[in-house]
Amino acid sequence: MRLPKFDYVAPKTLDEALKALTAGGEGCRLLAGGTDLMVKMGHGLTAASLLVAIKGIEGLHGIRFDPSKGLSIGAATLIAEVAEHPDVLKYYPAVAQAARKTANTQIRNMATLAGNLCNAAPSADNAPVLLARGAEVEVVSQKGTRQLSLDDFFNGPGQTELARDEILTQILVPPAAKASGASYQWISPRGKVDISAVCVGVNLRLDGDVLKDVRIALGAVAPTPMRATEAEALMEGAKWSEALAEQVSAKASEESRPITDVRASAEYRRRMVSVLTRRALEEAHARAVENWGV
Amino acid sequence: MQTYAIVGKNVPRNDAEAKARGAALYTDDLKLPGMLVGRILRSPVAHARIKHIDVSKALALPGVKCVITGEDTPKVKYGNWRLFPDTQDEYPLAVDKVRFIGDEVAAVAALDADAAAEALDLIEVEYEELPGLFDTGAATQEGAPVIHEYCPNNISVNRKIQYGDIDKGFSESDYIREDTFHVHAVSHAYLEPCSSLAQVDLDGRITLWTSTQTPYIVQCLLASTLGMRENDVRVIKPFVGGGFGGKMELRPFEFCAAFLAKKTGRPVKFTLNREEEFLTGRRRHAMTLHSKVGFKKDGTLMAKDLKIRLDGGAYNAMGPTATFLCGNFGAMLYRYPNYRFLGEHVYTNKPPASAMRGFGAPQSLYATEVQMNMAAEELGIDPVEIRLKNAQVTGDKIPDVATISSCAFKESIQKVAEMSDWKNKRKNLKPGQGIGIGCYSFISGGVFNWFNTQFPFSAAEIRAYADGTVHYLTMASDIGQGSDTVLKQILAEELGLRMEDIRITSADTAMTPQADLGSWGSRVTLMAGNAILDAAKKLKAQLFGAVSARFNLNVIYELECKDGRVQAKGRPEKGVSFGEAVAMVQKANRGEQVVVRGAYTPRDKGLVTPAFSFGAQVAEVEVDQETGVASVKQMWTAHDCGTVINPKSVEGQLNGSIQMGLGYALSEQFVMKDGQTLTTNFLDYKMPSALDMPPSKVVHIDSYEPEGPMGAKEAGEGLVSPTAPAIAHAVHDATGYWCKDLPITPEKILDGMKQNKK
Repeated sequence: MRLPKFDYVAPKTLDEALKALTAGGEGCRLLAGGTDLMVKMGHGLTAASLLVAIKGIEGLHGIRFDPSKGLSIGAATLIAEVAEHPDVLKYYPAVAQAARKTANTQIRNMATLAGNLCNAAPSADNAPVLLARGAEVEVVSQKGTRQLSLDDFFNGPGQTELARDEILTQILVPPAAKASGASYQWISPRGKVDISAVCVGVNLRLDGDVLKDVRIALGAVAPTPMRATEAEALMEGAKWSEALAEQVSAKASEESRPITDVRASAEYRRRMVSVLTRRALEEAHARAVENWGV
Repeated sequence: MQTYAIVGKNVPRNDAEAKARGAALYTDDLKLPGMLVGRILRSPVAHARIKHIDVSKALALPGVKCVITGEDTPKVKYGNWRLFPDTQDEYPLAVDKVRFIGDEVAAVAALDADAAAEALDLIEVEYEELPGLFDTGAATQEGAPVIHEYCPNNISVNRKIQYGDIDKGFSESDYIREDTFHVHAVSHAYLEPCSSLAQVDLDGRITLWTSTQTPYIVQCLLASTLGMRENDVRVIKPFVGGGFGGKMELRPFEFCAAFLAKKTGRPVKFTLNREEEFLTGRRRHAMTLHSKVGFKKDGTLMAKDLKIRLDGGAYNAMGPTATFLCGNFGAMLYRYPNYRFLGEHVYTNKPPASAMRGFGAPQSLYATEVQMNMAAEELGIDPVEIRLKNAQVTGDKIPDVATISSCAFKESIQKVAEMSDWKNKRKNLKPGQGIGIGCYSFISGGVFNWFNTQFPFSAAEIRAYADGTVHYLTMASDIGQGSDTVLKQILAEELGLRMEDIRITSADTAMTPQADLGSWGSRVTLMAGNAILDAAKKLKAQLFGAVSARFNLNVIYELECKDGRVQAKGRPEKGVSFGEAVAMVQKANRGEQVVVRGAYTPRDKGLVTPAFSFGAQVAEVEVDQETGVASVKQMWTAHDCGTVINPKSVEGQLNGSIQMGLGYALSEQFVMKDGQTLTTNFLDYKMPSALDMPPSKVVHIDSYEPEGPMGAKEAGEGLVSPTAPAIAHAVHDATGYWCKDLPITPEKILDGMKQNKK
């Protein structure tokens, strides 16, 4: 098929972008790195009459860290920048881990973290850890600004809570609590450079010897990245033990709703949710113990 | 061991700098004034009769210059096996029927890619769907639908090899095992998608620039499908980004480019996209291999009975050769006193399989090597020892098929065991760790003239100049494997020249001597190398004559070309520079240019090849016992490729082979549903990346092949075979699971481990 004709604007400010987006109407799409959008358009899976490119908007770039407020990642920030940023590496190692694992060098140098979320692929590498870390997204339209939890962001494959006239402007991740830890675990058929067949993000905190703020997020095992809330509940307020980690992981596996596709069978995915959740819990726990004195 | 000035040295590749700088021009980089863009319409159904095609809407689209279907063409069938015209089963564009999803139905030439793409959507084709056959079992069932009318049972080729007394062999065996293996189809996944550009000259002759391994084959078959004379078609091979067997036939887009160029009078270029490559490009044969082997208690091989069914897909392509070679490789590596082979090539409604690096060996040797490791375990013999006991040696014969003229197989096995610390490693592995061995043999080009050429298999022309340079012309095709460099090294060595003294023109069918069958079957170094030596011998005779006359040398003197001079051996003062010697010859011939031609065609070398390579490889693997993910930690290889012409080139071949073997063993596969390929990009087709490469150590065993140029034989393909069985063995060592059904996926490993625990 022929790539249909479309218009392209590259505004310099957020206001201009919002204006263009609102005026563009139904066929308008936001363009960040384009690593998903352009491929979809080329295959006729997404139609667009107008692309509004946001990479030229200065204010959407950059990573800011404030020990009391946490991390803010602008919508035009590259995944490569997230993966290598010193503050992310130091205070959000699991977030950096997921970013580093996303696609390959060339894609990370084009694609944005916000784009990875807005594309809303069930397998999006950056979603599970951000969900586990309780991330929020800031969303702006001409009508105003709202902030919503990432938990409420994904509606289905390729579908999010964003209204047609809204732009996701930044991703906000709270600072790590004392004695807390997070982890990202994934599995893929090819080893080093591959889309995840299953991925898991975990966060937890130690309050004395009791586990708190347990958050378990699963990728590529449901129509959207999902929280395993029943598994979390099993661990919340309990004391750490390997047996408990096993039990919680088995529960997460039960909660997952995978399908069979070209990358893995549903049965294998379910098994891997259990293995990866346990590993993520172990790593998060170890990091929490390590962070005790921080 | 003979010492050489240039052969055996790490001479930098001819093309390295141009490729590194992006200056190398591949077919798709070429542009001609007025050039049109071509696209192919492909069948969306696996098996159907074409009832009607309406191209009128496509033709009416602005920008579209021409649309063709099979009905517009001369309808000449083609195929590489010209010696047996029955096997030529393919039309450039479908006539009456389509046989796989992706079969070529129509072609468009338009002013730009957008118009061409849109035109495809406007061609209306009415199909009457027929039942599809998607595996060899269904295709060979009584009463199965017929894919090609000429072939009512869908078995297009069968090959037999038999010697010794198979029944006696088994009756005298103490231990017999029978196993069925399934090996899967994989993609060549060359980095340069196929591309062709055709132009018609003032006299109506065709020039085709094309991404091919076999310019001569394309020239001949293109001429016949167009109804033209061979000499009216000129094929030029620009830089090619890999072939691995996937670019060694005439392809429909080559025909369409030429045919549309004739019809429109304008140059026409086709370039396939990656999706088309995965969907419709050739692939390695999937096979079912049933192998029965018998041993004495002490591990001595007594008999082997091998039955193979190849899933050929919709057309024969290079399937007949693969069928025969499977049987040949089934008898290689070890001494089977009694052997029987039956190979059947079966049509199915899937993309055609064809030649791919190893050409039957990766499949056949997977069964051989895994079974050998299984037998060793059950007989309680070290896998290294059982191999040494049965290994072929120089002089061994496969009756009526081949004689092995050089063989350092035993040395390779011993060396790889030593390098990998095999005995100690095996004893000291932790849970989840494993070590395994696999071996290979391969051909250095084929001797069977299936293409039915009237020319020598390889030819060389050398033009010598008084300025001390030579111009070497050959149809041999460098497709990224580095043959231009290696052949120049051989010539430079032989003439005592430097690399920079040699200009090379290669793979232009109108300018280089007829013929060369192309780059496949690891034939180029041996065959084109021998053609060079033949030509050089004739040149040297002339130069030596002139120098001998000039210095009034006693006839018993030996002469040599060395260090840019032509001189008496041991008496360098009795000699002149190479250029002066050429000038003397030219003067003696009253100005006639000094030109010599040489050729090579294997003779009296059996049915298979002039020379076999051998080698052994050990893999160390770690299996995550919870996820089933196997990662290869280290590879060791010891091999016999005869004289190593360019060590870095050979190491490059080894690394590429390991990368390909890794994918074959662990991750690559076409996921198919009802004839539809679902894995049509590199996201889902899991080819290992550079980051997945394990560390690797290699030793080239010192050996000499009498039939090879300066003792050289193949190094390009054989090395791809041992990796999968070595990994399978190591996975077994780590988990207890024997994989008889490639690829070795994490899911299969976990299931296998579960079954072992029961």
